[in-house]
Amino acid sequence: MKTLIVDDEPLARRELRRLLGAIHGIEVVGEAGNIDDARMRIEELAPEVVFLDIQMPGGSGFDLLAQLERVPRVIFTTAYDQYAVKAFDVNALDYLLKPIEPERLAAALRKLQAAAPPDAGAASPGAPLEQLFVRDGHRCWFVPLREVSVISSEGNYVRLLWGRERPLLGRSLAALEQKLDPRRFFRANRRQLINLDYVAQVELGEGGRLHVQLRDGPEIEISRRQARLFRARG
Amino acid sequence: MASRSSANHWPRINIGTVVYWLLQFLGWGFYFYAQASGEVIFAQVPWSKASTLWGGVCLTGIALTHLLRWLIKRQGWLALKPGALMGRILAAVLIIAVIAYLNTLVLSEAVYGTLVTPIAAAFYQRLNLEGQLRNQFIFMLLVHGAWVAVYLAIAIQRHRYRAELRQAQLGEALRAAELRLLQSQLNPHFLFNALNGLRSLIADDPGRARDAVTQLARTMRYSLASGDEDLVSLERELEMVEDYLALESMRLEDRLRIERHIETDARAARLPAMLLQTLVENAIKHGIAELKPGGTLRIAAKLERGQLVLTVVNPRPANPPPARGDGVGLRNASQRLRLMFGDRASLQLDLSTPGQATAEARLPA
Repeated sequence: MKTLIVDDEPLARRELRRLLGAIHGIEVVGEAGNIDDARMRIEELAPEVVFLDIQMPGGSGFDLLAQLERVPRVIFTTAYDQYAVKAFDVNALDYLLKPIEPERLAAALRKLQAAAPPDAGAASPGAPLEQLFVRDGHRCWFVPLREVSVISSEGNYVRLLWGRERPLLGRSLAALEQKLDPRRFFRANRRQLINLDYVAQVELGEGGRLHVQLRDGPEIEISRRQARLFRARG
Repeated sequence: MASRSSANHWPRINIGTVVYWLLQFLGWGFYFYAQASGEVIFAQVPWSKASTLWGGVCLTGIALTHLLRWLIKRQGWLALKPGALMGRILAAVLIIAVIAYLNTLVLSEAVYGTLVTPIAAAFYQRLNLEGQLRNQFIFMLLVHGAWVAVYLAIAIQRHRYRAELRQAQLGEALRAAELRLLQSQLNPHFLFNALNGLRSLIADDPGRARDAVTQLARTMRYSLASGDEDLVSLERELEMVEDYLALESMRLEDRLRIERHIETDARAARLPAMLLQTLVENAIKHGIAELKPGGTLRIAAKLERGQLVLTVVNPRPANPPPARGDGVGLRNASQRLRLMFGDRASLQLDLSTPGQATAEARLPA
C-alpha cells in the first residue's frame, strides 16, 4: 500500500518511517513537512494512505483535507489533539497518539484495509469520487457520496443533502459533477443533481417536466431538456 | 498522645477571659464600694451590715451576668441580626433586673428588717414606700442594663474583628488557591511531542536521547514546583528555559533559532517560576512553529528603574489561522502577576507590527 507521511517534525517522520518499515505490505512513497508540500505529494504520488499530523505550520491537517480534490484514506497522528479528531461527527477516522505504539499502528492499518476495498480511494485518479471531505464551520465529515441524495448549487458553493445533515462545500456544481459517477448522479435541473438510488416515484408534470419524489427527501423537478435524457436512461 | 499527657504544659489562658473577669470584679467592686460606703455615710448604718447587703447584691449580680454571658456565647447571639439580638437582650435584662430586685428585697429584709434598703430610703425620703420600691427596681434595671451595654459593646466589637480576620484569612486562602490554579503547567502537546521525538532519537542518536531525558526530567520537575508562591531567580528560570528550548530544538531542528540578551545584573532578580517559560512557549507555539521556515526567537532581560523587564520577540504568521486556546497561558500568567504584585507588575503582548509578536513582562526587581 502506497503511504505518505505528513508531519512537520523530522524526528516524528523518521520515527513513523521506522515503525512502518516493520509492517509488511506498506511502502512509504514520500514525506511532507507542511500542507502545501503534502498537497503536491498527494496529487503527484496518489498514495492510498496518508498519515497526517494535525498541527502544522501554515495550516492544519484538516485544512489539507479540505483543499484536496480526491481524499485518500487518512490516519491522523497527534500528540494531544485526539479531541479534534473525535469531533468528527460520523464515520470516525482512526487516529494514533504520539508516541505511536507499534501494535496500535498495525491494528489501524488492518482496520483500514478491512473497511474499504483496495481499488477505492485515490489509487485510480480517473475513477469517480466515492467520498468527499467536508468542513462546515467547526465540523468535519467524510461524506460517502452513495449516501448523498441531492447536491444543490448555492452560488459558488454546493450544499449536500446527506441524511439529516446539510453541509456546504466550497466547489461549484459543474466542477463537482465532472468528478462524480454519472451512473449515480443525474443533473435534474440547472441547480440540482440527484442520486438515482434515492428516486422513489416519478410523476409527469406540465410541459414535459417531471417531478421526482426522493426517498426520505424532497420532491425535485426535472427540467424539460433533462427529462428527455432521464426517460432515455429508462 | 504525648503532647496531651505532658504535665509541664500550662493550660492555655485566653486573654479575653482574663480581661472579662478583671472588668467583672472592677465594675462590681466599684459598685459595691459606692453603695456600701454611701449607705454607711448617708444612712448611718454599721459597715458590717452594709457590706453584707451589698456584698450579697454584687455577688448575685456577678452570678446573673455571668450566666447571661454563658447564654449569649452558647446560643451565638452575637451572630444574630440586630433586631433579634435586641429583643433577646431586652428580655434578658428585664428578667435579671427582676431577680436582682427580688434578691435585694430578701437581703434587705434579712439584714435590716426593711424591704427598702437604707440608702434608697435615705435618697428617696420624700417618696412613699411604693415609690421607693419602684425606684429600687429601676435602679437594678439601670445597673444591670449598664453591665449588658458595656459587655455587648466590647463583645460585638470583638466578634466583628474576628469575622473580619476570618474573612481576610479566607481571602488569603482563596488567593493562594487561585494562584495554584493559575500555575503554569507544561503544555501536554509539548510533553507528548517531546516523548515522540525522544523515541526516534533513541535509535538515531542515543547520546542526544540521554541528554533529552535529563532535560525533560528537569523541565517537568521545575514545572511541578512552580505552584509555590516563592519567587525564583532569573538565573534559575533561565536554566529551565534553556532545557525547554533544547527540547523544542529537538522537534523543530533548524527552524528554531535563538538570540539571548540577558544583562548580568538582571540575573539575580526574582520572578514567579515559569513566567519567562510561558512567554517563550507562547512565542514558539503561536509564532515560530506556525511558520514553515521557522524564525528567530529573541529573549531579553534587563533592569530598568527598579523593574525587571523581560522581553520575548518572535515572528508570527501574517494571517494567523483561527487560533485554538490562544493566549490562555499568557492570560493566566498576567493574572498571576496581578495577584502577586497588584499594579506594580504588567504583562503585555504587542501584535501591532505585522508578522511579529512582542511579549513584555515588567515586575518589581
